[in-house]
This record gives sequence, C-alpha cells and structure tokens, in this order.
Amino acid sequence: MAVDRREASLPVAAPVQTAEPAAGAAMRQSSLWQDAWRRYIRNKGAVAAALLFIIICLYCLLIPGFWKIPGIWTSLKDYDPNAVDFSQSYAGFSLDHPFSTDKFGRDLFARVAAGGQISIAIGFAATFMILVIGVVYGSIAGFIGGKLDNGMMRFLDALYGLPYLPFAIITTQILSPNGAVSVWSMVVALTIASWFTSARIVRGQIITLKENDYVRAAKAVGARWYRILARHLLPNTMGVLVIAIFLELPGVVLGEAFLSFIGLGINPPTASWGSIAQDGREAYRLHPEVLFIPSLAIATLVLCANFIADGLRDALDPRTRETG
Amino acid sequence: MALLEVNDLKTHFFTREGVVQAVDGISFSLEKGKTLGIVGESGCGKSVTALSIMGLIPKPPAKIVGGEVLFDGRDLTKLGEREMQTVRGNQVAMIFQDPMTSLNPTLRIGTQITETIRTHTEMSKQDARKRAIELLEEVGIPRSAERLDDYPHRFSGGMRQRVMIAIALSCSPRLLIADEPTTALDVTIQAQILDLLDELRQEHDMAMILITHDMGVVAEVCDDVAIMYAGQIVEQASGFELFEKPEHPYTEALLGALPQLEGDEREIRQSRLTAIPGRPPDLVNPPEACRFAARCPYASYEDSCTEVEPQLREIRAGHWVRTAHPTSERSGEREPVNA
Repeated sequence: MAVDRREASLPVAAPVQTAEPAAGAAMRQSSLWQDAWRRYIRNKGAVAAALLFIIICLYCLLIPGFWKIPGIWTSLKDYDPNAVDFSQSYAGFSLDHPFSTDKFGRDLFARVAAGGQISIAIGFAATFMILVIGVVYGSIAGFIGGKLDNGMMRFLDALYGLPYLPFAIITTQILSPNGAVSVWSMVVALTIASWFTSARIVRGQIITLKENDYVRAAKAVGARWYRILARHLLPNTMGVLVIAIFLELPGVVLGEAFLSFIGLGINPPTASWGSIAQDGREAYRLHPEVLFIPSLAIATLVLCANFIADGLRDALDPRTRETG
Repeated sequence: MALLEVNDLKTHFFTREGVVQAVDGISFSLEKGKTLGIVGESGCGKSVTALSIMGLIPKPPAKIVGGEVLFDGRDLTKLGEREMQTVRGNQVAMIFQDPMTSLNPTLRIGTQITETIRTHTEMSKQDARKRAIELLEEVGIPRSAERLDDYPHRFSGGMRQRVMIAIALSCSPRLLIADEPTTALDVTIQAQILDLLDELRQEHDMAMILITHDMGVVAEVCDDVAIMYAGQIVEQASGFELFEKPEHPYTEALLGALPQLEGDEREIRQSRLTAIPGRPPDLVNPPEACRFAARCPYASYEDSCTEVEPQLREIRAGHWVRTAHPTSERSGEREPVNA
C-alpha cells in the first residue's frame, strides 16, 4: 500500500524534486524528546542517579503505607513512624528495625520514609511553585521588555540581596502565627526565598527566543501575541525548565532540612529528614545512625538531583554536549 | 488604483549614536499581479522598507516618521496592532531570508501551517489539515500528507523555504513580500524557488515585492525594478528598460559588477570582477549632496550634485532616476573623473 501511494505522488513532485532526492526517502521518525531520551540513556551516571532517585521516592511513598495494611508485611506492623515505645529506645539494627530506633523507640525505617515524604513533597511543591512564578514573572518581563523589564529585573536584583535563610525563616514565622509550622507555610517560604533564579532564566530565554526568525515569521503571518508566547516561546524554554526543576530541587530540600534541623521547620512529632537528624544530634556519639541515616538520605537525594540535572542538560541542549 | 502605494515613506531608527535614516522618503506603487524588485547593497534599507509595510519594524528603536503605505486604499501605518494582525498573513504575507531559522523547531510543520490558516479563517482542524496538504503539494513537497507530521529539522534548506512559501500562501494573500528568499540557498535551489514563486504568483494573481541584491534574480522575474541606495530609491523603471538602458551610475556599476561569463574564454579568465570603490554614506548624518557622489565616477567638485541633492526625475516615460549624470545625458560629453 505504501509503495502505491508513493508512486502516485511522485509525478506531482517530479518537476521540483530533482535536487533533493533524500526528501523522498522514508526516514525513521524521531522527535526532539526521543533524541533527548536516547542521549540521556547513554549517560551512565545520570541513569544510575535517576534509578536511585526513583528508589528513594518509592521507599518514601510505599513504606509508610504498608504498616497500615493488615495481613501484609506482618513483621512491619509496628512501623508507625510516630508510635512511641520506650522499651525499644535505641534498639539498634535488627530485622524488626532495619534502621534502628530513636530515643522514643520510634522505628527509623518508617520514620525516614515518612520524613522523606514530607521533604520530597515540600521539595517538589516548592520547585513547582518556583517554576510557575518564574515562568510568569520572567515571561512578562522578557516578552514586554523595555522599561517594564528593566523595573522588574531591578526589583529582582534587590531581592537577590536578601540572605536566603533568614528570609525563609521570617516568612515561615509570619505564616505560622501560633508557632505551628505547616507544610504549606514551608513551601511558601522556600518559594518566596528562591524563585529569583528561575525568573531570570526564563526571562533570558524569552529574550533570546524573541529575536528568532520564526517569531518574526509568525508575526508576519498574523499570529497574536498570546500565540507567539504560548506556541513559539514557552515550549522552547521547556528544556531549560526541566533542567531547572532538578537544579532547584536540591536547594529547596536542603533549605527545608536546615529549617527543620534548627527547629524552625516542621513541628515534632511529624518527621522530616531535618527533624530526624535534629533528634539524632542529642546522642550522636553513642547512636550515630539516628543522625547519619537521614543525613545520608538528604545527601543522596541532592546528589542524584544534581546528576540528573547534568544528564538532562547534556541531553536537551546539544550545544553544550562534549561527546556525541 | 494600485494595490499598494507607498508615498514618501520614512523609517528612522532612534539610536544612541543618533537618528539613523534607514528609509528616507521612498515612493513606489505596485499593481495587482505585478512583481516589483527592490535591489541594493546591504544596509540600504530594503528590508526595513519591507518590514515597514508589514508593520513589523522593531519599535523602539525604529519608528515610521512620515509617509503612508496605502494598501487597497487603507493606510497600513495608521492601523492598530489588532487590525494589522488581520492584514498580516491574510492580505499581505512575507517570507524571510533564512529558512533554516524561520520555522519553529519544536512544532511539526503541519501545526505551523494549520495554525496560520486557523488564525485567519473559521476552518475546522480537519479542513485546515487538508488545505495544508494541498499547499505542500502545490509548493512541490513530495509525500506531503506524511511530511506534514515532520519536524522542521527533517527538511533541507530548499524544502524549508518551500514550507515557508506554503505558510505565506495559506490564506491567499494579495501581496507577497519576499525578503531575499534565495540568499541562504545554494544556487541550484535558488532557481527552483524563484520559478516556484513566479508560478504561484501567476496562479494566485498575487502582487509580489522581491527584495534582493542579486541583479540576476531581478532580471528573471520582475516587471518593475527599484534600485535603492542609502535609504532612497535612486532609479526605478521596468525590468527590461533598466537592464537595457540603465541611467544611474550606481545601477551601471551594479550591472558592471556582475561576473561576466560570456565571450572569449581567455579574456574571462584574466578579467577581474569589478567592484564599486568606497562605502555607502553614514545614515546618521547623510550628506546634503547626492548620496552617491563620493563613489560616483562622474561627479566632480564643480558639479552641483556634490552640494545639492538631485531630485528623482522622469527621464523617460516610466523611468525615474535620481542623479545629475544620467547615462543618456552624459555620453560623449565627459569622461569619468576618477575611474
């Protein structure tokens, strides 16, 4: 069938086809994202980091769920992350408690998973909000340009001058008047303290893309401004944004861990990696695992995110690629 | 009445160095179904003229400071952005110099064509797709139904220019502005694209403005030719007349600068390409005198044209020229001063 159709269309094309025979040949279809995927897969470090990242996320998502399911994982039935049992205080490593327990006898295998849920959820939520604000702010400034752009960027410069952590701390305190810091106030605080970079990235991209010939060509056939922005500019920033997600994530996760560690983040007894590490600080000479395990989880997640960002950058931006 | 009438158009760029008078008082008119060639060297204001007609000049720094662009009796320079968008693509379309960068790399070409169609018509997605297939066939892209779902990077330069032409034609504009459509293509493709443009122009009864710096291109397709120099039109005539009897020293020099490939082979091998000495004047402070005087082989210090700017005058019916030394008034009278 395919051959028939090809022959039928050839006479039409014949007068103009002479110089470009390759255009008639069937080629394997590959979109930009498929190409990027192929390049990413070739980067062993990034693939390993992505797998580890997924394993950590699955562990955090699944483990705290299992203790609730009766009949399954009967040996895990005690893995309520907040269940206190002083007889099990600092129980040490065992099959019942693979990551040992803390001072209150709470199982760390469940607690690190539950804390990871909070940390990762805050990380992704804040990163998402950072990107949304960054895209809106950056594309307004970049697209409209001129004096507005200048004003918006100077405002950003002023905000850049504010120190990150005190800014985040003050925001969490303002958002939680009775001292109970909620997950959402953490997300908002971390977003407000760190959305500047993504706004700058988007603005820079939009300004570069705006000068592209295809934008001018789109204008020349009557495209409205919103179509130019939505169709021609923003999709072309996607590559950079995907990378930005994994560049912002470590910063936000670290920020959350730090706030919880110094006791200004998520309130006990709710676990987060930072607050578990804080619990472990009290007796770290005798029981280093309580401090060590959540710290290792934070470090691994941050490192993985950086490796993934690196792999994505190589995959999505062929210009910075060193090897084919 | 002519389809397009440009009267004393002035587009200036307000930069830190001063006001660049990129287009300084240009007038021409174009009848329905005719082709006008605008020729000149880089920076003479050809593209700015085209962008001014389309209302696509970068504001700021550029601004249309005077004149009018009458399209079908409507002054395009007075239209608001919203009204202009209904003109662009629908009534007047434009194709650009570099097809490699004029298509969005992240969108399938089918999307890029159908979106243009659906911007200006009420067509359904399916109908727009059918129309896109027809258009691709019309511009000579084989297996057009399949290629509709390809991304631009799978097309060669010539093919992409064909796609650009298809997009420009999608709403059957009455005027097509082609800004150096073949400059970025290799020579064998150039001729194909020019033939295609001319063919489509006849079929669709469009008027066309062809901007180029290639005299050969002009000779092939244009009914009328305007030669631009330093933001002004220095000579304008029908294509035949201009090539047979060029009047302006600049036009002569441009024609003289074409490589000669006919005649005695040994002579061709030994002859050198002729160039025009000097550079075009600075458009921030253009000279009061004739703008070509400094490079003109016929201008001498006694001449009025080194002090006063010559006006555009009709030397023969339909043949306008802006010089004090047109060829027909010069022959035998005086030798070139500094040639």
